[in-house]
Amino acid sequence: MKNKTEKINIKVALTLATAALLGTSNLAQANTASTANAEDNSWEFDSAFLFYSEVDRVSAGEAIFNAKKTFANDEILNLKLTVDALTGASANGAVAQPTVQTFTRPSGKGEYTIAAGDTPLDDTFHDMRVQLNGQWTQPIAPNYTASGGLHISKEYDYLSLGVNGNLAFDFDRKNSTFSVGFSYFQDTFTPEGGLPKAFSSMPKVSDSVGDFAETRIDSEDTKTTTDILLGFTQVINRRMIMQFNYSYSIVDGYLTDPFKVISKVDSGTGLTQDNIYEHRPDSRVKQSVYAQSLYHFDSSVLDVSYRYMWDDWEIDSHTIDTRFRIPLGDAFGTESYLQPHFRIYQQSAAEFYQPFLIDGDTLPTYASADYRIGEMTTYTVGLKYGLLVNNGHDLSFRLEYYRQAPTDAGFDAPGVLNEVDLYPTIDAIIAQVTYSF
Amino acid sequence: MKKNIKLVLFIPIIIGATGCSSLGVEPWERDLLAKDEMSLNASPVDAALDDHIYFSKEASSGGKGFGGGGCGCN
Amino acid sequence: MASPCEVIIQSADKQLAAELGNIIATEVWRIEDKYSRYNQHSTCGVINNNAGYSVAIDEETYLLLNFAEQCYQLSDGFFDISSGILRKIWSFNGAQANEANKGNHDNFPTVEQVKQNLTHVGWRKITFDQKQITLAKGMEIDFGGIGKEYAVDRAIILAKQLTNSPVLVNLGGDLAVTSSRLHNEPWQVAIEHPDTNSNQNILADMIVSLQSGALATSGDARRFVIHDGKRYSHILNAKTGWPIVDAPRSITVVAPQCIQAGILATLALLQGSYAEQFLAEQDIKFWARR
Repeated sequence: MKNKTEKINIKVALTLATAALLGTSNLAQANTASTANAEDNSWEFDSAFLFYSEVDRVSAGEAIFNAKKTFANDEILNLKLTVDALTGASANGAVAQPTVQTFTRPSGKGEYTIAAGDTPLDDTFHDMRVQLNGQWTQPIAPNYTASGGLHISKEYDYLSLGVNGNLAFDFDRKNSTFSVGFSYFQDTFTPEGGLPKAFSSMPKVSDSVGDFAETRIDSEDTKTTTDILLGFTQVINRRMIMQFNYSYSIVDGYLTDPFKVISKVDSGTGLTQDNIYEHRPDSRVKQSVYAQSLYHFDSSVLDVSYRYMWDDWEIDSHTIDTRFRIPLGDAFGTESYLQPHFRIYQQSAAEFYQPFLIDGDTLPTYASADYRIGEMTTYTVGLKYGLLVNNGHDLSFRLEYYRQAPTDAGFDAPGVLNEVDLYPTIDAIIAQVTYSF
Repeated sequence: MKKNIKLVLFIPIIIGATGCSSLGVEPWERDLLAKDEMSLNASPVDAALDDHIYFSKEASSGGKGFGGGGCGCN
Repeated sequence: MASPCEVIIQSADKQLAAELGNIIATEVWRIEDKYSRYNQHSTCGVINNNAGYSVAIDEETYLLLNFAEQCYQLSDGFFDISSGILRKIWSFNGAQANEANKGNHDNFPTVEQVKQNLTHVGWRKITFDQKQITLAKGMEIDFGGIGKEYAVDRAIILAKQLTNSPVLVNLGGDLAVTSSRLHNEPWQVAIEHPDTNSNQNILADMIVSLQSGALATSGDARRFVIHDGKRYSHILNAKTGWPIVDAPRSITVVAPQCIQAGILATLALLQGSYAEQFLAEQDIKFWARR
């Protein structure tokens, strides 16, 4: 073996020898960066903070920290910590009235007042949630990859435990992939004030503890969600790849929102006579088909996807989501890019959705005035800007505008309900910063 | 009925895609496909955050991945 | 060359691309025809067939022999282009042998055979100058260890003379670029995983972003022999006549020129288990797989 001083000369000696051979006077530099090291046993981290805020309503902050480690045999461990905090007011389902209204808080202690003409919003909620996910992926045979994971999420009144598994099979030079996956979640809900009896009247603050208890059925309940996902990915050509998914999901258990009411109004005047707790079925079967396509132009990339969902609550929805990534080169930051985003979503109302009930009519089996299962169109327009900092770390900023526009699914509004906004539009801002290292 | 029609339309797309053996690339033609931005799930953090928002505010979830439970937001 | 070769130019000018392809193909074939040991009429063939006699050489061959001399000295004699004769007893087409024989291979020589052939190996037994070269009787020289990388570097020189557009020349995994791509973007190069066989899909396990310079990979992905369940690389120790043991399965080196990268990769492999240490001490950018 050579000693150190001799070794130092090899690079120089070779350079000289090469110059002599090739007659090249320009000793070019060699510059590389190594990316996508499947065998590089280091961690990759992503950290992100998102701020969501609706005008006059809910605001939320969410932070994610994701750690991913790739091992020697293409095994991947992914750990994720999510923390979110929610504050502000959301609609309680009652209709607006031309007079001041007072509602009782879910706990039964305390109340809140709504100005005339305003949509009733309950601002009781501020909650914090912590979630942990762990996912392990590994090849189990040539062209077969398996993945399994665990999920746990906890907030003040909610606990969710979940498990998932997935098997993918590649074929035709890895141009095609079939995958089958399942997931199972068991959630336990212990809402403040317990679970109200379906269609019971919202109690008054002045009610005695005993009377309040009368309106409750239980202090907690559970819900299970079982999902099956079938996927097919196909490389179309050098510039294009597509994915098709089908999913089938069964949700079982307590699906009612214990904090939401539906107003019983007079058929003539439209004035609220009573606010009663909503009631939803105890099961929901959803199916969806999803198609996504990625196309690489000369330097920009277009991502378009479509999803159609239908379920046994008679909700149908269409989602079109598209992103267009425009590289800016090094002009506005190292390897910077701009990515506009546009999403449009439309859903039909659940079969038991009603913005209000008519006092005196027979109560239906199920009813809910939650606009989130009513007829609605939403739009998202956004822009993301990203660049590399600090030796190749990704930094990006995303700003989006999200508009939720509930629409009238064909309910005749009696009396004063014609003078108030039964389907208020909700505007929200989404702002996010992400740093990967 | 409407749902069955949609399903029936969906399946031929898959059969059509697998039936065309002219689709696909050789390993050395994967230069563009290998880029991060050509991954079907290019920004998983963005996707997770968005999914949470839309799951809380709309009646649909998942499609691209699992839409199951997870939080008390809907 | 027996490996896939390609020239990539980033340009919308089809005529330019065709012209470039022609020029480079012509040059690469010229070098192959001139220095291939399989071609009896090549310069290499003529030299080998006239061992024991003085053979006239041109300036290009002289420069290459000089370079080989430098490599011999830098490697302490482990790199020796006169070791080509050992191919008579070693045959490294492991990819086929593996399926056919599953273990013992007919072309795994005995100790006696190796000793015998080793008498005809030794750079010191060759004399040459600017005009001629004389091998000792029974000897052969083989430009295989430097020929391909030299062809890449020559191709880059010609490409630069022809155009300013970014060009990448790749001869079976030994490649170089004239400059970075447009907008200062690097070239994305995939390095093949050593574990490639016909039963598995080809996995590009690693992507290197090459801004400038050259890349050469030396290893046993395609050329090896399996004997008694052990895998022997095609890099032979010129002093003992046996394959180097405990070398990494593959080494990829980055250097300003391809021939430099190629020699460094080979020199590293010749260090066997010290391959990575050798390159790290030289402050050379490389990737090794064991």
